[in-house]
Amino acid sequence: MFRTAALTAARRVARPAVASAVRVAGVARPVPKVAAFQAVRFYSAGGHLHKDEVFSRIAQVLSGFDKVNDPKNITETAHFANDLGLDSLDTVEVVMAIEEEFSIEIPDKDADQIHSVDKAVEYILSQPDAN
Amino acid sequence: MSALQAYRHLMRAARIAFDGDTRTLTAAYESIRRGFRENQNLPANDPTIAPAIAHAEEVASFLRSNVVQGRKEGETYKLRIHKDTERGDNDTIKLGNKNIKIGGEHKCCSA
Repeated sequence: MFRTAALTAARRVARPAVASAVRVAGVARPVPKVAAFQAVRFYSAGGHLHKDEVFSRIAQVLSGFDKVNDPKNITETAHFANDLGLDSLDTVEVVMAIEEEFSIEIPDKDADQIHSVDKAVEYILSQPDAN
Repeated sequence: MSALQAYRHLMRAARIAFDGDTRTLTAAYESIRRGFRENQNLPANDPTIAPAIAHAEEVASFLRSNVVQGRKEGETYKLRIHKDTERGDNDTIKLGNKNIKIGGEHKCCSA
């Protein structure tokens, strides 16, 4: 749905001035459309991930994991084993789920170091390929 | 640590081998989990651990290089051969049962 919205928005912007002038005449205010256009992320957007966004996506991955003892325990500094009640095999699975979420592959030696939410956030932020 | 690594390799291999086939992938994950959970309470110096890990690594490499997915399209099957799939030919058979990867250590044909 976002994609369709983005395409429509892009097409509208790309249209020659005359055509858009005609179009604007039919619409009350063009401002909301511009806002919607900017709200969509593009491959060319260039901006890096923000810490808050990374955390909320990791929290989402964790809350979908049924072995987490209590969703309320998912905080920015939660330790997978001590706070969330996950064992080492679960941790491996969580790290793999995080990999999938951000479409990257974490090498073994780095994956073994990720034992808490803040470590994961830090690692994702250090990866330019993560998205 | 190596058990965890074997676990990760196995999970990754399953993800590559059964990509897009949710039912098989879930079953594979489930069976990997079961296999590891069965042995999770063994003492660290148990002699059966090392062979079990070796077995897991072998299964992982088999899944990665020797399983190919196929989809039936009319009368034929379309195979999804990926970069890790082992590819040999009539000449590589003569090299015996060694790991053969195109561009790897054992060159074949006119290479």
